[in-house]
Amino acid sequence: MTSQKLYAKTVVSIGLCMVTALVIIHLILNSMGAKEQGVFGRVAQSRAALSKIVKEPDDLVMFFGSSMTRAGFSPRQFDANLAESGINTMSFNYGFGGLNPYFQDFLSRRIVENLEDNGRRLKLTMIEFNPFQTTTTRWDRANTVLDAYSSFLMSDSELLDMALQDITQGVRLFNIKYLRNDISAEMFTTYWGRELFPSNVRRTFRNDKETRAERNRLRKLLSEQFDKEYPNYVDAQWSYEWRGGGTIPHERPAETLALFDAYYDVSQTDASMKNDRLGRIRSADIEELHFEPLLVEHFINIVKNFQRVSDNLEVIMLPKNSKWINTTPEAEKRLAEAVKQIEQATGITMTNHQNLPEITSNMYSDTTHLSRYRGGVAYTDYLLEQYVGVFDR
Amino acid sequence: MIFNTPLFFWFFSIFILFYGFVFLKQTARVYLILVGSLIFYGAWNYSFIPLLVGSAVADYFIAQAIFNASSKQGKKSWLILSLAINLGLLGLFKYADFVLVSASELLAAVGYNASIPTLSWVLPVGISFYTFQSLSYTIDVYRGDMKPRKGLAEFVAALSFFPQLVAGPILRARNILGQMHAITLPKWSAVKHGFLLITVGLIKKTGADLLAFPAQKAFEADGAVSTLELWTGVIAFAGQIYGDFSGYTDMAIGLALILGFNIPLNFRVPYFALSPVDFWRRWHISLSTWLRDYLYISLGGNKHGHRTRNVFITMLLGGLWHGAAWTFVAWGAFHGAIITATHYLANMPIFSAFNQSHSRLVTFVKWAVTFYLVLIGWVFFRATDLTSALDIIVNLHVFNSETIGGNNAFTIFVMTSVWVLLVHIIDFYVIKGADKLEDRPWVFWLLMVLGQGICLLIGEPSNEFIYFQF
Repeated sequence: MTSQKLYAKTVVSIGLCMVTALVIIHLILNSMGAKEQGVFGRVAQSRAALSKIVKEPDDLVMFFGSSMTRAGFSPRQFDANLAESGINTMSFNYGFGGLNPYFQDFLSRRIVENLEDNGRRLKLTMIEFNPFQTTTTRWDRANTVLDAYSSFLMSDSELLDMALQDITQGVRLFNIKYLRNDISAEMFTTYWGRELFPSNVRRTFRNDKETRAERNRLRKLLSEQFDKEYPNYVDAQWSYEWRGGGTIPHERPAETLALFDAYYDVSQTDASMKNDRLGRIRSADIEELHFEPLLVEHFINIVKNFQRVSDNLEVIMLPKNSKWINTTPEAEKRLAEAVKQIEQATGITMTNHQNLPEITSNMYSDTTHLSRYRGGVAYTDYLLEQYVGVFDR
Repeated sequence: MIFNTPLFFWFFSIFILFYGFVFLKQTARVYLILVGSLIFYGAWNYSFIPLLVGSAVADYFIAQAIFNASSKQGKKSWLILSLAINLGLLGLFKYADFVLVSASELLAAVGYNASIPTLSWVLPVGISFYTFQSLSYTIDVYRGDMKPRKGLAEFVAALSFFPQLVAGPILRARNILGQMHAITLPKWSAVKHGFLLITVGLIKKTGADLLAFPAQKAFEADGAVSTLELWTGVIAFAGQIYGDFSGYTDMAIGLALILGFNIPLNFRVPYFALSPVDFWRRWHISLSTWLRDYLYISLGGNKHGHRTRNVFITMLLGGLWHGAAWTFVAWGAFHGAIITATHYLANMPIFSAFNQSHSRLVTFVKWAVTFYLVLIGWVFFRATDLTSALDIIVNLHVFNSETIGGNNAFTIFVMTSVWVLLVHIIDFYVIKGADKLEDRPWVFWLLMVLGQGICLLIGEPSNEFIYFQF
């Protein structure tokens, strides 16, 4: 056999084997639906929705941030209240848990590109600066989703830039994007490994049996109430899930709101809050705040990206649950330096809502997130008061 | 560039097109291998290419000088120069900081707080492997075991041959140089066997990456770890390091086979070993035989009643070869101690009958004791420092049911143990009966599709090979 014949046979045989393996993988990855679930699913939906958003006739409002934004801002309530004053807006909650500023930067580029391509602008953009999403600890924990999110959120030219800087990583991301349907091996193993290797949810403090039982009972009751009150609820028809629509208290009977109150009371027990605080310290360095310079840089990019398409832009630090989270004086210094760096780079003065008197400690569902029916409502109303003026301009 | 990355896949695909269809002549292929190997190495850090080429060129000319030297003293002087260059580079890049930090700690321990600055240099990937390979050439020429080769490009291509450049096996110069001098076209059966080894290697590497999690939980836990989880972690690390390293060398051997080169086996189901001595005949064979031939024998081997001392020195330096840390020294010392103990016991009449018995029970006991000792050795190898290694070893033998892994601890223990066993069964079959599989094309290719599919699906290409750091 000549060299050409042997290596032709080699290339064809091994090539066919690899292609067959790849086709099987593609089928498996598509069928398992990992991309449609969790934060990844919501980011995917939100990205896909951009083409619909640009077609909305009303003024566009966007709140862009973390899960704290997700929990703390109700677009439907914001729009409904403005509509009462004769102002028609379409607001969007683009808050995503687990999406640090590195990923948010790339998502914001896609949003801005879409708006620019369609000649649209945002009447009001609110960008959340979340200090504990910007820490080194947080960045280190993004490892398992780094490749998948990067390949999904980056454009081809950004991937090419990446390949020119780090060829191994660049080629890997291209591979994930085009051959693996955006699902990295890490993401696949994490997805299936959750059952076998559960994350170390350490409950140092335990709620008593009665509290746990009561919480489960109320959760069940709330679920039953929801089915009763919204018998034909279909997310996509009733409200855009990707918009951060959700139900609002105005629509619910007093009986349900009372259930919510009771539920929040049993959820915010000392044990639950202490556990949550420890979890935040471990996973986000929330009280020491050692900032990751790379993430601060990417946050600056986010602001600069949105500046291109926003009539009014606010950078906001959301309310902080100071009853449970106590940042050290050193952390406050580091925070002040990071804020200064962002303000100098963007020319925007950051608005600090961390200690609003309107938001009290019982308005949180845990140590960081506002509860939807208490804190979210109050905070959305507060935002409305602050920014209603921009719609007169 | 790592074998299980998409970048390497594309690199090798392009390389094989040139190798198989364009560069058909011997000289052209040598140059292609040389250029391909330097691109492969440079993809990690191109600034170290001069170091790789420089040390090869130096040894090429030194070997000629050794051969041409008229006196024994002259030959010896040239050999010392080769040793100084190779071991000097290794010492500078790999051990300088270790020595400086240890000296600083020693001074602090005796009351002098001298802050000695460290170099903090980047360790060139594969330096321990290609340095030893290059040294084998000058030593062989010095001993008269081979004549120096002509053809600088051929020599550098052989030394930097990309399938085995960064993590071995450590080839003897006389083995690879001959093959590089007359590159042969592989048989189709060799190509198939090569692809089988690549697939098996990928599976082993994929499994090793998954085993990293339970190993990490045990060795880097910041909370309570039960005895079961600790044993799981140690077994997982045993599986991880074996899968990682032997997987890499399987791929290296497989890639070389496809290119028409034969690289000798580096592992022979090591966890089936029946004694510590047997373990080292099966584990990282290319290193253990290198150390035997060039260090142990040079120290005098078994002669003059110095076997114990020579074994101990060889194992100590073998441990240090793996990394500049006291944990590796302890690992080497531990193996030196158990090998010495094995020799000692074998000579005792009371153990002689036991030693020669082939009954199933005795074989099982031999295997169990050996595996247990090897596992204890891995604790030194994996632990972050000597204190935690000793803590882990103590805790392995003290029952504690407090757990961080919840109800899954037993499942993970079983899965880890089964995986380590399964990998050995696969290896055993590949060594003994791969030809039977390769003779049945449908079964063979179906298994290859499945194997490649599993690796593509769950492989974690961002994890580097453990042995890259050595």
